[in-house]
Amino acid sequence: MFEIIRNLTRRKLRNGLTVSGIVIGVLALTTLGAIAEKANYSIDGGVRYFRDHVSVGAAQNGGFGGGLLTVDKAKDIQAVDGVQAACAATGVSAKTDLDFSVSFGPGDQVTAEQPGCQQYSTFKLTYAKGHPIDETGTGQVVLGSDIAKEFKVTTGDTIALPRPPKKFNPDYVGHDFTVVGVLDKTLTAPDAFAIVSFSDGQTLFGDALPAALRGRVDPTTLATGINVYAKPGVDLDKLAQKINDTVPGVSAIAPSTLVNAFKSASVFLTAITTGAALLALIVGGLSVVNTMLMAVTERVREIGLKKAVGAHTYHVLREFLTEATILGVIGGLVGLGLGWGLALAINAYFASQNQNELFLVTSRLVTFALAFSIGLGMIAGVVPAIRASRLDPVTALRYQ
Amino acid sequence: MAAIEMVNLTKHYKQGKNVIKALDGVNLKIESGEFVAVVGRSGSGKTTLLDLLGLLLRPTAGTVVIDGVDTSKLKDGDRATMRGESIGFIFQEFNLLPTLNALENVMLPLRYAKKDPQGPARARRLLDEVDLGDRVTHKPTELSGGQSQRVAIARSLVNNPALVLGDEPTGEVDSETSDQLLDLMRRMNREHGVTFVIVTHDMDIAQRADRIIRLKDGKVASDEPIAARELALS
Repeated sequence: MFEIIRNLTRRKLRNGLTVSGIVIGVLALTTLGAIAEKANYSIDGGVRYFRDHVSVGAAQNGGFGGGLLTVDKAKDIQAVDGVQAACAATGVSAKTDLDFSVSFGPGDQVTAEQPGCQQYSTFKLTYAKGHPIDETGTGQVVLGSDIAKEFKVTTGDTIALPRPPKKFNPDYVGHDFTVVGVLDKTLTAPDAFAIVSFSDGQTLFGDALPAALRGRVDPTTLATGINVYAKPGVDLDKLAQKINDTVPGVSAIAPSTLVNAFKSASVFLTAITTGAALLALIVGGLSVVNTMLMAVTERVREIGLKKAVGAHTYHVLREFLTEATILGVIGGLVGLGLGWGLALAINAYFASQNQNELFLVTSRLVTFALAFSIGLGMIAGVVPAIRASRLDPVTALRYQ
Repeated sequence: MAAIEMVNLTKHYKQGKNVIKALDGVNLKIESGEFVAVVGRSGSGKTTLLDLLGLLLRPTAGTVVIDGVDTSKLKDGDRATMRGESIGFIFQEFNLLPTLNALENVMLPLRYAKKDPQGPARARRLLDEVDLGDRVTHKPTELSGGQSQRVAIARSLVNNPALVLGDEPTGEVDSETSDQLLDLMRRMNREHGVTFVIVTHDMDIAQRADRIIRLKDGKVASDEPIAARELALS
């Protein structure tokens, strides 16, 4: 092993350049992979979050978010066979200014659901601090981990929702809420939620209506969506179809539609990571092949000598493969270290700007990046190592 | 039984349509512990003979029997094992690995042979025997030509081989060093009881062997023990 290390340090510049090639590849793999991991975790969370219920919206709005529904529709849906609970819900943006922060979800939302509905969801929220809101009260809010960090508030603080605009806006109406709880990180939608009681949600929704509509509708009759929870054993996709067939004026979206949309996004992000891996494979792999072929050419006599003093074909093969693998390991470790460091630095910067983190370096990404670089070195070393091991000792010993 | 027996040893090379008869039906026996010099002009087949004895080449016909083992029947892997365990090599250009120090170079054959707990100690002892006990950590670039060849001699003996093959082992050093190296090889031959076969152009070197085999056009032109030759000349 010491001899292999010495051989590598003998040609510092060349091996350094080769390692740099692998470093660039693994750096790209780590950073793009960390973005994909962050997104995939959000997507996985989204899948978990949305697959436990049927989302129902107003028919004319395509059924998902933003449309005007009346709370009465929940009662109609409740009557559909197979429905355990139909819970009216509201969702409005937590910000009045345009949001340019990096987000893989709908952005910061103030959400609310009719009292008693949380028990039906299989997506259980846990609390880092504090406790749930009084669902029948007013003026309390539970914040997701990201939104709490972004607005720099914690339990006991007061926060105005939606957030006041930076420039004066005569249409802005804000309400003060006391933060009674902060959620554990879920890596999905609730991280960006401010959860208030349903009555507060309706008030905020009424305030968010265009000025022309305000005052003409009673916000306490409105909802932006209805979350439908099914009885045990009921197929949610079929239930969505049944709701569409039997309740007029609503549009129920089958969970599988949303889940498939999330999975499509996941496939796209996986393709980006695969692209980075291929880039690493080409850049790093070719430089390892080139370096090792040069090493074989330079060390032909050495190979001849080793064979003369008893080395078998597999000894020579193993030595050159080990050397190529070490190049891969060094490149992988440095590339991973730099990529990880870069991800941490950018995440820290985003956090300092009150924005969501962009990267998520997971243990599976670290394992994959390391295994990839080791595999890359080994595979790229195969051809040179075979060439070395098959050298005829007589020819090799007299090679000039 | 002879330590080495060459039976109808033949090596032909094809060069285009021509066949080069590098070695042509050589029959020789070398006894255990002999110190043999192989001489002859360039192209006479000396190096081919050495490569065949060292199992680095396969003969076109015939065989080499070493310690009773018919090497023509051995597979490549077994030939490599036999090279490591029974044969030592000394080359004209030393062939020391530049990244290894003197001791590590001597220990190189141990790496490929059966594990021998005595090996490292023997390597050190051999370096002492070739008067390089104070140079164990020196790299080849820090050694003179004579010292490098002494390291190579120690390396050739580290696995306790039956046979050491030298290809112009003094070809790269001055005559004084050449004499010293030959003294050393003879001493090793005597003290370790190892058979030495060296190829040389230098008749002064050859004269110090027990026996001189002269090759011409791939055949044995003469094969005489020194004592018999000296007797015939007197």
